[in-house]
Amino acid sequence: MGCSSSVPDRNTGRAGGINPDSGGVIDAKNLRVKLVLLGDSGVGKSCIVLRFVRGQFDPTSKVTVGASFLSQTVALQDSTTVKFEIWDTAGQERYAALAPLYYRGAAVAVVVYDITSPESFTKAQYWVKELQKHGSPDIVMALVGNKADLQEKREVPVQDGIDYAEKNGMFFIETSAKTADNINQLFEEIAKRLPRPSPT
Amino acid sequence: MPSDSSSSSSSSSSDGDDRNPNSDPNPDPNPDSIDQSLDALESQLASISMSSRSPTATIDDEEVAEEEEEQSVEQLTIGNGPLNEEIRAEEATDSVEDEHIGNNSNLRAEASGVINTRPSSLCRNISEVDEVERPLSPSSSGYAGERGSTSGDDEIDDDDEDDNEIREVENDGVLESHAQWVSGKRHPDEDDASVSWRKRKKHFFILSHSGKPIYSRYGDEHKLAGFSATLQAIISFVENGGDRVKLVRAGKHQVVFLVKGPIYLVCISCTEEPYESLKGQLELLYGQMILILTKSVNRCFEKNPKFDMTSLLGGTDVVFSSLIHSFSWNPATFLHAYSCLPLAYATRQAAGAILQDVAGSGVLFALLMCKHKVISLVGAQKASLHPDDILLLSNFIMSSESFRTSESFSPICLPRYNPMAFLYAYVHYFDIDTYLVLLTTSSDAFYHLKDSRIRIETILLKSNVLSEVQRSLVDGGMHIGDLIIDPTSRAGAVSSHLGQPRPATGSPGRIMDGFAGIGGPAGLWHFIYRSIYLDQYVSSEFSSPINSLRQQKRLYRAYQKLYTSMHDKRIGPHKTQFRRDENYVLLCWVTQDFELYAAFDPLADKALAIKICNRVCQWVKDVENEIFLLGASPFSW
Ligand SMILES: Nc1nc2c(ncn2[C@@H]2O[C@H](COP(=O)(O)OP(=O)(O)OP(=O)(O)O)[C@@H](O)[C@H]2O)c(=O)[nH]1
Ligand SMILES: [Mg+2]
Repeated sequence: MGCSSSVPDRNTGRAGGINPDSGGVIDAKNLRVKLVLLGDSGVGKSCIVLRFVRGQFDPTSKVTVGASFLSQTVALQDSTTVKFEIWDTAGQERYAALAPLYYRGAAVAVVVYDITSPESFTKAQYWVKELQKHGSPDIVMALVGNKADLQEKREVPVQDGIDYAEKNGMFFIETSAKTADNINQLFEEIAKRLPRPSPT
Repeated sequence: MPSDSSSSSSSSSSDGDDRNPNSDPNPDPNPDSIDQSLDALESQLASISMSSRSPTATIDDEEVAEEEEEQSVEQLTIGNGPLNEEIRAEEATDSVEDEHIGNNSNLRAEASGVINTRPSSLCRNISEVDEVERPLSPSSSGYAGERGSTSGDDEIDDDDEDDNEIREVENDGVLESHAQWVSGKRHPDEDDASVSWRKRKKHFFILSHSGKPIYSRYGDEHKLAGFSATLQAIISFVENGGDRVKLVRAGKHQVVFLVKGPIYLVCISCTEEPYESLKGQLELLYGQMILILTKSVNRCFEKNPKFDMTSLLGGTDVVFSSLIHSFSWNPATFLHAYSCLPLAYATRQAAGAILQDVAGSGVLFALLMCKHKVISLVGAQKASLHPDDILLLSNFIMSSESFRTSESFSPICLPRYNPMAFLYAYVHYFDIDTYLVLLTTSSDAFYHLKDSRIRIETILLKSNVLSEVQRSLVDGGMHIGDLIIDPTSRAGAVSSHLGQPRPATGSPGRIMDGFAGIGGPAGLWHFIYRSIYLDQYVSSEFSSPINSLRQQKRLYRAYQKLYTSMHDKRIGPHKTQFRRDENYVLLCWVTQDFELYAAFDPLADKALAIKICNRVCQWVKDVENEIFLLGASPFSW
C-alpha cells in the first residue's frame, strides 16, 4: 500500500455539467462536494463507492450504465462534515464522450485503475490528462490503485502509481473494495484536502 | 403424439422434393427473389459449415468441447423428460403452418443441396466454433464475469427459468470459479444442458458490411470473424446482383438477413418460426442496438469501413440476450403492443396524475413500470411513445443490473421516437420490481429529475400505489377460470378485482363440463386480446394444462404463427381463423378494434369455442378500466 500526496489548495469551481442548484457549501462546517469517479471498465469504481456508501462488497456487481448517483457524508475529527455527491461513471468506451457531463463542475475527481492491469493504468493517465485539460482548474484529484488484495497478480508497481501521482499533483492511495482496505481513508483524505471556505 | 412421419412431412416442404434450385419449376416472380444466385449461395453456405468447422484450437480443447456437449445432452434428457417428443410435436404443428404460408410465400429462396444432406450440421458447427475457440477476455476488463459472457448469458433462453434478473444474479457468483473457456457453462447442472440445446436452435449475429463481427448470441464475436466474413460475402454477393437476401432455407434451417445501412443482422434458426417473425426479431435486435448507440454510429463506418464496433457495445451482451430470450415468451415482441399491470382504475389514475404533473416540467416521457408491464405512462404534449420503444427500453433497464443499485442518469435513444438522438434517462427503482423512467432531452436535468422522482415517490406512497402494485403481482391478471358464461350472473363479480372473488364452484354462471378445473369453460386454455386503438394487449394468466414453461413457449409460438398468418398481406387480412391440431384448437378473430387469439383443448367444440370468444371479449370490455391504460394511448395525444 502506498500513500503519497500533493498540494491541491484551491477553490472549488462549479459550472456546467450536472450540478446541484445550490452551491457546494452548506456552511463553513458542513461541505457538500461533487465527486466523480473515472477509470476503465471493471477496475472497481462501483465497488469502491458501494463499499464506502453502504459498507458492502458484491463480487457480482454489474457494469455501470451511464452513471450512477450516490451520496455519503463523512464526519471529520475537527467536527466538520463533508457530504459527497458521487457520480460513479461507466468505464465503457461508448460513454467516454459523455464524461464531461459528469466531471464538469466536480470538486473532486477520483481516477481509478486496477493494479493487476497495466492497460487500466494507461487509461487512468488518459483521464488525468483529460481532467487537466477540461476539468475545473481547482479540482482535487486522487489516483487510486484498486484490487490491492490481488498482490500476487499485481502488474502495476506501487512506485509507478506514486511517481505518476506526484508528477501530476495528485493524492495517491491503493485500495481494496473487497477487503475494505483504505476505502474510508481514501474519502477521509480527500475530505481533508478540500479547500475550506474561510470562516466569516 | 406426432409420429416420425409427421416430422418427415415437415421437412418435405424444403428438402423432400429434392430439387435442384436451378431447376425450380416455379420461378419466383417476386423481385426479391434470388434465384440466379442460388448456385453461389449454396456453395457459400457449404463454405460456412466448412469454415466454421475449422477452429484453430488444439485437439485437447476439441475433445473437451465435445465431451461437454455430450454431457449436456444427457442432462437434458434427465432434467426435461421427453424433449424429442416435444420437438417432433413442434415440427408437426409447423408442418401445418408451412403449407399454409409456403404456398403464398414469394420471398423464400430454397437452397437445398449440400446443406440438406446434413440438416443439423450448420448450427452444430457454429456452436462448436464457439466452444472450442473460447477466448480470453480481449480487454483489460476486470470483470471476471465478462469473460465469455456472450455465451454465458445464453441461459437467459433457458426454458427452465422464467425471471431474467434473478437468473443473472445467480449466474455470476458461480462464474468466477469456472475455467475461462467454459465460462459459457456457468452451472454444471441441467440448466446448461438446455443452453447447449438452444445453441443448436437459434443463432443471432450482427456484423458490419465489411464483415466485422459486432454481436453474436453465442461465442465471442472476435473469434467468429471467419464466419461473419462468410455471411458478409453472401450478402454482398447478392446485393451486387441487384437483390437483397432476405431468407435462405437450408434444410431445416432458415437464414434470415436484415440489412440496415452498414449493419447486417442475421438469424439462423431451426425453430420453424415464420420468416416474418424472425425478421421482426432482427428489427428489434437492431432497435436495441440503436437504443444503446443511436443511428449516428453509422458515421463511424463512413470514416472507416473497417471500424470495429464491438468495443462500443461492451457490457451489453446481457441486454441482447435478454431481448432474444423475450422472443420466446413475450407476446409484445410480435404483437407490437404493450401490456399493463392490472390495477384498480383509481390507483392507475393516481399514478398517471402525478406523472402528468412532472411531464409538464421538462420531462419528455415519464414511465412507471413493473417488470415489463406498464403501470402508467405520460408523454409531454405531442410526444408519443411506440410500444416497441417501451419494450426495448424496459428490456434495457431490466437487464442492466446496475440500475438496481442506485438512481442513475444515462443516455438512451428511442429508435422509434428519434433514432438519431440521445435522450437522457433518469432511472430509479422503488422496489425490486417497480421502477420509474424519466426521459428528457436536457443533459443537465438530473437534479430536477431527482426532485421530480421524490415528489412522485411521495404521492405513490401516499396513495398506496406501490403496495397495490405488489398485490397485483400476487393476484395476477385475468384467470380464465373466472370467465362467467352466463352474463346475467356476472354483475356481482366484476365490481372487484377483474371479476374476483371467484364464484364458488357450481355457481350458476359457470359451465361445469369436463374441462372445469383445468383451464376455463368449454376447454378454453388461454387467450390474448390486443386492443388496436390502445396499442395494448392483455394476456390471460397461464393455468392448467398450460403449466410448464415448455408448454407456454409452445403456445407462444403457435400464437406467433397465427399472428403472422392473420397479418399476411399476400393473402389479404383474415377476419377469423379456426385451426385444430393435436395440441390445440386455436381461434383468432380480428376486427377493427381488437384482435383475439384464443387457445382451447384440441377436442373443444367449435360452436362453443366461438361463443366463449364472445364472452372473453365482453369480459375484457367489462374490466378494461383495470387492465388497460385508458385515455392515454401513446398515439392519441
Ligand atoms: N479482488 C478484487 N476484485 C474487485 C475489487 N473491486 C472490484 N472488484 C471486482 O471487479 C469487478 C468490477 O468492479 P466494478 O466496481 O463493477 O467496476 P467498475 O469500475 O465500476 O466498471 P464499470 O462500471 O464498467 O466502469 C467486479 O466483478 C468486482 O468483483 C477489489 O478490490 N478486489
Ligand atoms: Mg461501475
